[in-house]
Parts: sequence; C-alpha cells; structure tokens
Amino acid sequence: MASLSTSSLSFKAHSIQSTRTSQVLRKPLSFQPISFGRFQSSKNLRLQISCAAKPETVQKVSDIVREQLALSADTALTAESKFSALGADSLDTVEIVMALEEKFNISVEEADAQNITTIQEAADLIEDLAQKKPAA
Amino acid sequence: MRISVMSQMQRSFSIDLPSLIPLQLPSRRETHLWYVIPDEVKSTSLLKRYSQLLSQTEKDGVDQMRGDELKKNALLARTLVRTTVARYQTNKEVDPRSLMFKKNVYGKPEVDWQNCKNCNHQPLHFNISHTDSLIACGVTVHVPVGIDVEDKERKIKHDVLAFAKRFYSADEVNVLATIPDPEAQRKEFIKLWTLKEAYVKALGKGFSAAPFNTFTIRSMPGTEEGYSLCKTSEVTADPLEETKKCNGEWKFALLELADSHYAAVCIEDDQANEGAPMRVIVRKTIPFVEDQLISERIFL
Repeated sequence: MASLSTSSLSFKAHSIQSTRTSQVLRKPLSFQPISFGRFQSSKNLRLQISCAAKPETVQKVSDIVREQLALSADTALTAESKFSALGADSLDTVEIVMALEEKFNISVEEADAQNITTIQEAADLIEDLAQKKPAA
Repeated sequence: MRISVMSQMQRSFSIDLPSLIPLQLPSRRETHLWYVIPDEVKSTSLLKRYSQLLSQTEKDGVDQMRGDELKKNALLARTLVRTTVARYQTNKEVDPRSLMFKKNVYGKPEVDWQNCKNCNHQPLHFNISHTDSLIACGVTVHVPVGIDVEDKERKIKHDVLAFAKRFYSADEVNVLATIPDPEAQRKEFIKLWTLKEAYVKALGKGFSAAPFNTFTIRSMPGTEEGYSLCKTSEVTADPLEETKKCNGEWKFALLELADSHYAAVCIEDDQANEGAPMRVIVRKTIPFVEDQLISERIFL
C-alpha cells in the first residue's frame, strides 16, 4: 500500500491517510497488480482501489448522521465516528442509508448498507457509487 | 411476584456482590424474555459492581459509547447477558465473570462453553436487543432465538410507505398501504420491523443472508397476534394455499413490554415439538436486586 501512495496517483484528503490504509486492508476489493508498462487512465486505477472520500462528503454524511440520531451540537463527529457508539441501532442505520441515497442520488445494496459502520465508510461508499454511475 | 435477593447477601463473591438466584432452563418451545429498564437502575455503587463483571473487551466497548446514558445502557446490556446466562447454570453457582462469549462465523454472539471454567455445556441460546429505554435478553434451549425491541412511539424520519417500498417485501407494502390512519400505519410498520429483525437475528447469518425484501411476515388469519413467515417466492393470492406453502420453520411472537415497547421473538421450530404452541415468559429484572414475573403467554 505504501508504495502505491507514492506513485503517480494523486489522492486527496491526506489528513485521513491512516483511515484509508485500514479501509483498503479490510476490503480486499479487486486489487489487481498494476502493470506500469501498460497505459491505464487514472480513472480506471481509482476504480480498482478504494479511495478515501473527500472532506465535503464526510461533512455531508456527518450532517445527516447528526440529524438522524438527534445528536446535540456539542457531540463531536469525526470520520472515524462509529454509528453504534453514537447510539444508532439497525433502524437508524437504514434511515441514514435512505437519507444518503436521497442526498447523493445513489442506490445502496442492502448488503453494503449493513456493512457501513462509520462516517468514513459511508462517505467512501457514496463516492464509490457516485463514480460508477454513467457520467451525467 | 417479586423475589428479593437481599437475604442472599450472606454468600457473596469476592467482590462483595450477592449471589445470583439460580433459574430453571426454559423448556422446549419456551422463550424466557428478560428486560431491564435503565431508568430504574440508579445506584452508582450497583453500576460500579456491574462493571466489575465485564471482560476487558466489554469494558472497552462500553467506554467507546459516546455519552453517559449510552455507556450505562451498554453496561446494563452486558450485565444482563452475563448474569442471566450464569443463573441458568444448573449444578453450581457460576461467577458471571467467568463466562466467555464468542461470535459465530457471521458475527452472532454466543456463549463459548469450551473456554469457560466451571461451566457445564448447555444447549442454551440467547439474543439481546435494546433501545434507549429498555434492554431485553431472550433465552431458549436447543433452538436459536432472535429478539428485537422497539419503542412504540418511535418516529420514522421518512415517509413510512416510501421506507417500506425501499426495504420491505411487496406484500408487506400492500398490507401497510391499506391502513388509512397514518399513526396506525406507523405502528404496524414498527411491529413488522421488530418481527423481521427478530427473524434475521434468529437466523444468525447476518443481514445479507436474508435481505428484508426477500421475505414476508404476515399475521396469521384467525389468530390475534400470530405471525408467520413466507419467502417472497412463496406468497400467492390464495391465503389458504399460502398457509400450506409458507414454511413453519420459524415461530413468531409479538408482545408489548412495559407499555412502551413492542418486542418480537422468533425461534426455530423444533421438529420434535411440531404442533405445540410457543410460550413466552416475560420477567423484568434488576440484576442482583430483584425479579418480577410479568406475564406468561402462549402463541399459536
């Protein structure tokens, strides 16, 4: 993983690097060895690797979570915040997913929906899905 | 019927807790449903003693919760599981701290009998569920159990039908759509949610094994609170035909707890007991302090 981050690919949101690393390790998504001899657009490469989401996405997810769980303004939310630690039960998680679908105009598979446990994971999934949609 | 254990204070564990009153295991087709109301547990010294029962992992889990109320509820949930399971040990008093837990391959928590010193291996199954204001634990023998509790007044942020269309089966949506009063519709939605959750939890294979829209739970005609499960492919227009096709492998009970919550219980049908009704015994408890028998009901 470390060698990739120093390659020509540019990742945004450097500040959440550690989270991204653990994310990639946990989800063995189609990680294919990249053959540098062959031309691949950076967009294709992105599809093979789970990138950390943009801070704006994380912020939007946080707002939705805050509203769904009726959290007080002084409950600090970070990308790593776990839904369960915030008191979300499965019904809350499903409502959060529905709100995310509406906000970002995406459609989440039930299996994916149940795997979202943190704000970061939700944001990453949103960006994955938004990317896979045909260009508007 | 209240049973106070204060007289048991004489025999205590090294950490100065009273003994736990032992319990008889449930019979087949019987579910014991225990619940705690967090608001009724106020003593900080009692809560401190509870925290001494937990494993380090459980303590870490409690610490992770954001806010005192959530921490307290997480503590009570683990305490309820440990003390309840310990009480069913038949031959001797088992220290609730010595119980070990593990997760099955899909992540469902279960008792790890092999690694528990002094435990005798029992065919005991349990499942917990909680809301902000109630924590419940269901116990069965020989068959898996799933329970789910939900606040009756819980408001859904989305439109109930839109939510159902997105996640429930088409037949369930049809049933909900025929309810004219929005409040009655919301209540039915919540009841269905608890029943569906209870099934998935009883199944113990994670949510992806049984996505909500692949099965229908419906009330059984002719029964007051009987529910049955049909896989979506089996639902037909003819109710009689359907009753024959819907598998009877899973039994359901829906009850109300403390006037404030719906509770759904789902157990796997034990072939040996086919035809026998399902019984649910509800007790309210404050671990180490008191038990109160609430109800004993049969569900057809």
